[in-house]
Amino acid sequence: MTARPIANPQPAPARVAAVEVDHVCFTYPGAASSALSDISLRVEPGERLGILGPNGGGKSTLLKLILGLLRPSSGTIRVGGLSPEAARKRGVIGYVPQRSGVELALPISAREVVQLAASWRANPFRTIPRALAERAERMIELTGVSAFASRPAGKLSGGQLQRVLIARALAADARILALDEPMVGIDAAGQEQFAALLDRLHRELGDPETGHPLTILIISHDIRAVAAGSDRVACLSRRLHSHTSPQGLTPQVLAELFAHDIAGLPGALHGMHIHAHGTNEPCTDPAHAHGSNAPDSGPVSLNVSASGRSIGGVAKDSGGVGGAGVGKGGGA
Amino acid sequence: MRITDYLADPDMRAMTLDALAAGAGVVVMCSLLSPLVVVKRLGFVGQGVSHAAFGGIGVAAILGALGLISPGSPMEVAVVAAFCILSAVVIAGLSNRRALPEDTAIGIVLVGSMALGAILVQAAPRIAAAEGMTYAPRSWESILFGSLLAAGGTEAATSLILAAIVVAAVALLRRPMLFFAFDEDSARAFGVPTRVLRVSLMVLLALAVVSATRVAGVVLATALLVFPGAVALRMTDRLRTALAVSLGAGLVSLIAGVALAIELDWQAGPSVVLILAAMLLGATVIGRLRERLSTRAAAGPAAGRPV
Repeated sequence: MTARPIANPQPAPARVAAVEVDHVCFTYPGAASSALSDISLRVEPGERLGILGPNGGGKSTLLKLILGLLRPSSGTIRVGGLSPEAARKRGVIGYVPQRSGVELALPISAREVVQLAASWRANPFRTIPRALAERAERMIELTGVSAFASRPAGKLSGGQLQRVLIARALAADARILALDEPMVGIDAAGQEQFAALLDRLHRELGDPETGHPLTILIISHDIRAVAAGSDRVACLSRRLHSHTSPQGLTPQVLAELFAHDIAGLPGALHGMHIHAHGTNEPCTDPAHAHGSNAPDSGPVSLNVSASGRSIGGVAKDSGGVGGAGVGKGGGA
Repeated sequence: MRITDYLADPDMRAMTLDALAAGAGVVVMCSLLSPLVVVKRLGFVGQGVSHAAFGGIGVAAILGALGLISPGSPMEVAVVAAFCILSAVVIAGLSNRRALPEDTAIGIVLVGSMALGAILVQAAPRIAAAEGMTYAPRSWESILFGSLLAAGGTEAATSLILAAIVVAAVALLRRPMLFFAFDEDSARAFGVPTRVLRVSLMVLLALAVVSATRVAGVVLATALLVFPGAVALRMTDRLRTALAVSLGAGLVSLIAGVALAIELDWQAGPSVVLILAAMLLGATVIGRLRERLSTRAAAGPAAGRPV
């Protein structure tokens, strides 16, 4: 795969989903209740999906499952038709971690960080192959890292480091870009640049074989992060529901459900159009079967559209509100 | 004794060269791993493993008393190394399964090995006597603080071979190891076999520590793993430079420490460690000054003056 611009930005009909999550339940070992309950989700190639939810709602757990770092308690996950473990070994997903996890004391330049993605596989007896170095350079340019590429990673600002981590995620030919809480510690100007960057990457780093633009997953508790680069938003608070029939749900209700947990919600929702859906999905989750503490007044799902762009099909059930608290306890 | 007299005597000179060769092997291993130890906060793991060497020395003493291995032989080093690697794996295993916090796991292994070592080292001569043999165990002093100047040709060779193994392993693993060091969670997500790297690092650390106990004893061995990297990371933020500074700091402190030990009749291990401590102090002061100068230069001539 190369980084040349895609002539046709319209996705062709998809055969294999970029990510397919099928009735997945996950309970941490020793936890009393599940962190994720009966999650089903399909991400088409070229789609930009935001996964929004309160802290402890299971977002990071879902990402770890998709990355193959955890195994579902039940249900299946496919990434580009492969098992998550196989996809991880092949570098299908380019992961952008939360910046708090990186070791800034390590003497390493921004360029070296970007090169890590592919160079760790390189023959240790030889220098980094030219193709890898060139690909890394192209990502450095595309993400606007060039100006500070030779500076030590520990001396970069939050926004600069984020660009470096995005460049690294893409430097190994990833087909899917997955960002974990990308807005934490980024100021307003940085957020705008971030949205523009994601847009550019989406357009320019598609799959030349299929014509799909770059698939992007954004996991966040901050609706601004999700709104910045998503075509579709999934709300996750232990449970998640998509593509269900609508029912009324006002921004006020959403705010009541999430406001205490989601940064920037009331402002970001201003001007958005929201549809809600009711659903009754079965859950094979054992914790749920034993009776979770969530009131079961019927799940609700919603469609949000903002500034002409539809942010469709997502979900949140009122049972999940109780689940949010449960998830927090489980350290999800 | 004066160094000049020492070097004039061919026997003394040969002894000093053996000690320096043994020390150089140790310093190369430790200094190479040291920046990683500092960045990954593995100093206390090193401490645990080095004290575990005491237990290993105890086991080796019993085996020696039974006439199964001879003191100072590569077999003795192997026994101590095996014990240290086992401890490192136990520490990693205990804290990996989240059965215990890592510092608790290290604490348990550390004191357990010290206690075991103390009893076994003391019991060794009695066991030897019961078998009708004599066995002189290593002195407490040499176990605790090292006996570099007593190192002979065999020890020098063992140390250099171990150093070659560690250097080769680090060279082979350097790229995934760098990813692992920068952020372990992402490394896993990118397919880097982090579990293999973690175990390899523990084994390499154990080999370095075992060798370091010869120079600085079980009490001070960690100093060789922590100081050179800490000095280097205060001097530079470039990886290659950091490794070079770390190696330089280790070698300079070794040579200067041995010189002081001969000249002033100090113990070699503690002398090396004191010089490393002085280097770290110097590097910290220089680093602070440089930082202050650069912020002052960046802020213009008025900055730094009281308003």
